[in-house]
Amino acid sequence: MDSKIIKKDKLLSLLERFIAGYHVLAPVREDGMLVYRPVGIPGDVELNPGRSVLPPKGRFFPQTEILYSYRIEGEKLTLEEYVEEARQVILFGVHPCDLRSFAVLDAVFTEEPRDAYFTARRNNTIIVGVSCSSVLPECFCTAFGISPVEGNGADIHLTDIGAGAYLVEVLTPRGKELLQKFDSLFEDNVAGAEEAKRAKEASLIKKISLSVKVNDLHEKMASIFENPYWEKISRRCLGCGVCTYVCPTCHCFDIMDDGAGKAGERFRCWDSCLFREYTLHTSGHNPRHALAQRLRNRFFHKLSYNNQRYNIEGCVGCGRCVALCPVNIDIREVIGAVRGLV
Amino acid sequence: MGASNPLLPKIATVVDIVRETGDVNTFRVVFDDPEEMAAWNHRPGQVAFLSVFGVGEATFCLSSSPTCRDWLEFSVRRAGKVTTALHELEAGAKIGVRGPYGNSFPYEAMRAKHLLVIGGGIGLAPLRPLVNFMLAPENRKDYGKVEIIYGGRTYNDLCYKEELFRTWPETPDVAVWTTIDVAEEAWQGHVGFVPAYVEEVKPTPEDKFVVICGPPIMIKFTVKALENLGFRADQIYTTLEMRMKCGIGKCGRCNVGARFVCRDGPVFNLTELYQLPQEY
Repeated sequence: MDSKIIKKDKLLSLLERFIAGYHVLAPVREDGMLVYRPVGIPGDVELNPGRSVLPPKGRFFPQTEILYSYRIEGEKLTLEEYVEEARQVILFGVHPCDLRSFAVLDAVFTEEPRDAYFTARRNNTIIVGVSCSSVLPECFCTAFGISPVEGNGADIHLTDIGAGAYLVEVLTPRGKELLQKFDSLFEDNVAGAEEAKRAKEASLIKKISLSVKVNDLHEKMASIFENPYWEKISRRCLGCGVCTYVCPTCHCFDIMDDGAGKAGERFRCWDSCLFREYTLHTSGHNPRHALAQRLRNRFFHKLSYNNQRYNIEGCVGCGRCVALCPVNIDIREVIGAVRGLV
Repeated sequence: MGASNPLLPKIATVVDIVRETGDVNTFRVVFDDPEEMAAWNHRPGQVAFLSVFGVGEATFCLSSSPTCRDWLEFSVRRAGKVTTALHELEAGAKIGVRGPYGNSFPYEAMRAKHLLVIGGGIGLAPLRPLVNFMLAPENRKDYGKVEIIYGGRTYNDLCYKEELFRTWPETPDVAVWTTIDVAEEAWQGHVGFVPAYVEEVKPTPEDKFVVICGPPIMIKFTVKALENLGFRADQIYTTLEMRMKCGIGKCGRCNVGARFVCRDGPVFNLTELYQLPQEY
C-alpha cells in the first residue's frame, strides 16, 4: 500500500489526535522500566522504545481478566459476561518481533472455536508498529526470518529515517482508514526514504547475533527428546517461570473463581508450564513431575510443537527470556546445543 | 459475545444423584433452557466441564449415551476441590455445563464389528456411553457382539451395578465378566485383577475393537495380555486424562507432544500413543 513521511513534531500531533479519539496504549517509562500503558500525553510516549519488560500481548491476552461474574438469587443463577469496551484501541509502538508474536497468538486463540475475549480485543485494536532503532545483546529475531524494520502484522508502520522524519507505511485498509482522517499531518514520500530504511536495516542486522541458525532445528528436535541434556540443563533451572511470563508467544492460562456463596467472578490468569501444579492431576499423578520434563516441554513447545501444530515458529527471538532468566538459561544456547548434539 | 463464547457455561440443574460407590456419584443433569438440551450432541468418549460457581470448574467424561436426549450423566469421584463441592450438592442444585469437547471412540469404524470393553473402577464411565450407544435399539443392528470385562477393588467399588448385573447381561449378544480384587464373603463371582482375568477369558481379536479405561497400571498390563492374545495396537483404544482448563486448545496444559488431549484426544489408539512422548 502507500507510504508517507511524517515529521517528529507532527507525529506528536498525530498521537494527540489518536488520544483524543481512541484509547491509546503505548510504551512509556515507569520507574525506569519500559511498559505499555494507557497514555494521555503524547510527550510520555517513547517513540523509539526498545524492548518492553512485558510484551504488548497483554492488550489481547491480559495477565488477569474476568471472564464473567455469577450471581445466585434464590433458585436463580445468572452469569454476566465481561464485555469489551466499544471504543477502539490503538496499540502504538510495537516492534517487529512482538508484531510476529501476534500472529503466533492468533493461531492459538482464533482457531475454532475462537476465544471470544481475545478475538474481541484483537478486532478492536489498530496496531502501529515501529522499527527498531537499536539492538540489544539478546536480540535474535533474524533467526526466525524477522527484519527489525518490517511491519508485518501492523496496520501502520513507522521507521525513524533520521533528520526528525519517519517513514509511515500504511499496511492494511484499516490503517489507511485511520490515517485518512489526519491527512494534513503527512508529507508525500520522498526519494531516499526507502533507501534510508534499507540502510537502517543493514546496520541493525549487523549488530544482531547471527550465530543462531534454525534451518535444521525441527528435524534435530525430533530426535533429541530422550537425551540427558534436558536433565543437565534443568539442574540450574529454578522453575520460577519468568521466561514464560515475559514471553510474547506464551499463551497458557489458568481459570479460577474469586468469590464464595452468592456472587463472584470467574477469571483467568497467565500460567506457566514450568510450575509443578500446572499438569498435576487431582489424583496426585503428574505427567511432567520432574523439572527436566517441564523445561524440555517448554523448549519443545517453542522450537518444535508450535510449528508442528500451527505451522508458525513458537519463538520470535525477542530475547526477553534470555535477558531475565536468573540462572542464565539461554534459548540460543539450547538451539545451538540441540543442533550440535545430533 | 453470547452464544459465540465457548468459555461461558450453560446453566443446568442436577435432577438426580445416584450413589455408585463410597466415593463415586452419578449426577443426572438437565439444561435449564430446553433449547440447549435439544441442541446438545455428544459422541461416545467426549468430555465436558462442570462448574460449581464460587469453587471452580473441572473436566469430566460424559457417562450417558448420546442416544439419551433427556439428560446428561457424569460420574464423579470425590477427590479434589470441585469434585467435593459436586458431592455436597443436592438434587435441584444449579451448576454450569460447557462442552462437549474432544474426539470420540471411532463408533463409525466400529460398525459391523464386535466390541471388547475393559474397565477398572470409575474407568467404566467413559466407556459406558459407547456401550449404551451400541445397545440402543436404533443402533443395535449396526454392531456385533459386545463383551465387557470389568473389575473393581471391592464389590462396593463397582459402578453401574444395575446395568452390570441386570441390563447388559440380559441383552442378546452381550457378555459381561466381572471381577473384584480381593475375595469377599458375599461375592460369588470371580476374584482377581483385570489383566489376569482377560488372560483367562481369552477374547479373540478377529473383527473386534477394544476400548480400555482404568488405572494406568491396569491398562499397561491389560495391553500386554491383549498383545499376547493377538490383538494389534490399532485395534486397542483408550482415553487419556490430562489436566485441562479450557477444553478448546488454548490454555496449553493438556499437551502430549504437539497434541492437545482436549482437541486431538482424549481417545487415542495404541499406535498413536506409541508415537507420542510418554508424558501422560
